[in-house]
Amino acid sequence: MNSRFSNENIEYLISLTLSITASLLIGALIMMANGRSPVVGYGALLRGAFGGRYNIANTFAKMVPLALTGLATAISFRSGIFNIGGEGQLYLGAFAAAYVGITFTALPKGLGIALAIVAGILAGGLYAYVPGLLKVKYKIDEVITTIMLNSVAVLFTSYLVNYPFAPARGKLNGTEIIAKQFHLSRLIRLSTLNTSIFFMGLMALLMYYLMEKTSAGYNFKLVGQNPLFARFGGIDDRRQMIMAMVISGALCGLAGVFEVLGVHYRFLQHISPGYAWDGMLVALIVRNNPIGVIIMSIFFGALKTGSIAMENATSIPSELVLVIQSIIILFIAGERGFKDRFNELKLRRKIKQEAGEGDA
Amino acid sequence: MTDILIRARNISKRFPGVLANDRVNLDIARGEIHAIVGENGAGKSTLMNIIYGLYEPTEGEIFFEGKPVKINSPLVAINLGIGMVHQHFMLLPSLTVAENIVLGMEPRKNGIFMDMKAAISEVEKLSETYGLVVDPNQRVETLSVGIQQRIEILKVLYKGVDVLILDEPTAVLTPQETDDLFQVIRNLVRDLGKTVIIITHKLQEVLAISHRVSVMRQGRMVGTLETKDADERILAEMMVGREVLFKQLHRERLPKREVLSTRDIRARDNRGLFALNGISFNLKAGEILGIAGVEGNGQTELVEVLTGLREMEGGTFTVNGVDAFNKSPREIRGMGIAHIPEDRLATGLSREATISENLLMGVQDREPYSIKGVHMDNRRIRDRSDRLIEEFDIRTPTADILAGNLSGGNMQKMIIAREFSFDTPILIVAQPTRGIDVGAIEFVHNQIIEKRNAGVAILLVSADLDEIFRLSDRILTLYEGRITGEFSSDEISKRDIGLYMTGKRIDSTERGAIHE
Repeated sequence: MNSRFSNENIEYLISLTLSITASLLIGALIMMANGRSPVVGYGALLRGAFGGRYNIANTFAKMVPLALTGLATAISFRSGIFNIGGEGQLYLGAFAAAYVGITFTALPKGLGIALAIVAGILAGGLYAYVPGLLKVKYKIDEVITTIMLNSVAVLFTSYLVNYPFAPARGKLNGTEIIAKQFHLSRLIRLSTLNTSIFFMGLMALLMYYLMEKTSAGYNFKLVGQNPLFARFGGIDDRRQMIMAMVISGALCGLAGVFEVLGVHYRFLQHISPGYAWDGMLVALIVRNNPIGVIIMSIFFGALKTGSIAMENATSIPSELVLVIQSIIILFIAGERGFKDRFNELKLRRKIKQEAGEGDA
Repeated sequence: MTDILIRARNISKRFPGVLANDRVNLDIARGEIHAIVGENGAGKSTLMNIIYGLYEPTEGEIFFEGKPVKINSPLVAINLGIGMVHQHFMLLPSLTVAENIVLGMEPRKNGIFMDMKAAISEVEKLSETYGLVVDPNQRVETLSVGIQQRIEILKVLYKGVDVLILDEPTAVLTPQETDDLFQVIRNLVRDLGKTVIIITHKLQEVLAISHRVSVMRQGRMVGTLETKDADERILAEMMVGREVLFKQLHRERLPKREVLSTRDIRARDNRGLFALNGISFNLKAGEILGIAGVEGNGQTELVEVLTGLREMEGGTFTVNGVDAFNKSPREIRGMGIAHIPEDRLATGLSREATISENLLMGVQDREPYSIKGVHMDNRRIRDRSDRLIEEFDIRTPTADILAGNLSGGNMQKMIIAREFSFDTPILIVAQPTRGIDVGAIEFVHNQIIEKRNAGVAILLVSADLDEIFRLSDRILTLYEGRITGEFSSDEISKRDIGLYMTGKRIDSTERGAIHE
């Protein structure tokens, strides 16, 4: 069990390292093609991401929503039900938290935050429950329903903040500021890094324990690998899938809660620049491994923070980072094929050697 | 040998990590029936696929009529006059017999349109020449497996081949259909001068049909001998590399208590048609009840309803007197039924999970492997896996290998290890030795008999009649979702059972002959 360092995993780590190195090299070639020095470019990116307390704080601040949505993707994909609706669940979770924050202003600090978190988790979880139920009961493809429900949630919350919940003093495409006691404490001056990173760490530990160490985690994994085998063995595969979907939605909702309580202090019409999508990439790259999600979301957080610094310092456009991210995904998607080709070459050489010895 | 038609010299074929053929030599004489036997994975199909041009050999040469040839595609093979009928049919079910046969080489009108009339008359002519009776206008989907195979053979003959390679042709046939097929093969060879290569692992068939037989083991050619000089024992030894005992299995006589009972069970198949039309039988402790039947007559559905994987639409089903009608697989397992499924890859395991994880299924939330059903105790789980791996002789370096890397025989041992470890009073065993090698078959059979002798009630579903006869105390024949007969395994010949498997019903005059 849990042989985290079995051959397959080591091979995968090697492929992953190669993929990332190769995409960084291609990024360097693109810089050179545009007449910039990759040394200067990457130098600026590294400094931007890790160059000082402020930079490191920003990298970790960016990591919070990536890790939460990454874990959300990991649990659902591992269970063989594909939650592509993280963005919508995040928006609903964020709005629910903001609603609590502007409505229950009399609550004391701890209780208020707890209520906001519960509300966001419920909103995200319930919003994922519906497509989960449709999938299990009526075999309606969850990929399609969750994708479409993204638009529903984004547009619905956009309506809410512009009409029923528009602030008294003109439309800001956002709600009122939430009450002071709901604000999560900032940790580093000027940076948005806040205490939500501790909650996130706690969630990561919990998810790691659930996915890797418990009987329920075994059930999730086996349902994802072969639902028929799971049912044959006595696991209720349908219940397991719905549970995975709800947990996934709840984690996305939580990511939204923290954007409101920790970063913006209000719900904004465009509160997420696609965190759930990036989180999904993170999980895909590390094959839904919870530890991998954490490490990879630091990497992605660094790319995001560093790219802006790089643009400011060297005028290399920050979009270059999107190119690098996409190339990593391409390499990872081709991993199987590369590996087969590589093994074949190795084999050919061995056969040639053996044949050579035979002749001699 | 007088006239060598195909000569393969030093053929080697490597797949990543496997040497499927290792310097194999084979001579095929013109006008002979040549059997190739060997365990699964011995390299028979690989060798034939090389001769048919589907694989290119890594090393070695092939001579056709004495001239070296490079067969790098089936087209080349067909131009040389070599055709192959694969184990899995490649027919289009919605087209007619004639359309299927001429597909790819259709007679044309004006060079564009298919000439249906010409196609039908050509198929009729072909059918007459070779004595393979088919109706060219019937749709393939309505035909039995035996007829479909006939069409496959005609398809190859239509291309004008002289050498016919048949890959495990009898695997899906009833004894009657097998006899018919052998008659056809003999005609092809004797009257029409064709050459036939037949791959099989059924030794009786080799002895019945072939002139010469070549035995392969682990990618090597062990030897070729005249069939008249061979018997089952010699061939089995050559195949396995050691002596195999075809001994009668020891049976304890036990008091028989009824543990499972069904009455008029009805259920539909995946297409929504009734596959079970009222099945009634009882299963007793300490007996093996064999279900014989041609595949597709309701065996799959029967096993699935009894294990909770398929819904029943009528009837009663009780286990030890307790109602088990449409219970979930988990509830049914709780009642004391373990299950070896017929499709081990689809149902019996997860290829992406380790052996240890596969062995864990069913106890993953039970003490002592899971503390309070939550926290898995990896040490206990590992101990259990190691114990089962040793006890059931699963050949693997460690329990942490992915199950997908195991051979078919070892996968099956893994499944049996898991299901037998639950020590249930009832076992439902479907196709327990399909596609696994002789050594593993022996092991599996012994395990099943041991369970029986320990008083476990066993329902055995198998398409392999030899297996049914070898293991069963009682046999039921299944045809079109009905039980057509009940026999004791010692009083009636396979031939008679074959008739019941193809629809003959027990009538009152024959009742006297039937056991119990």
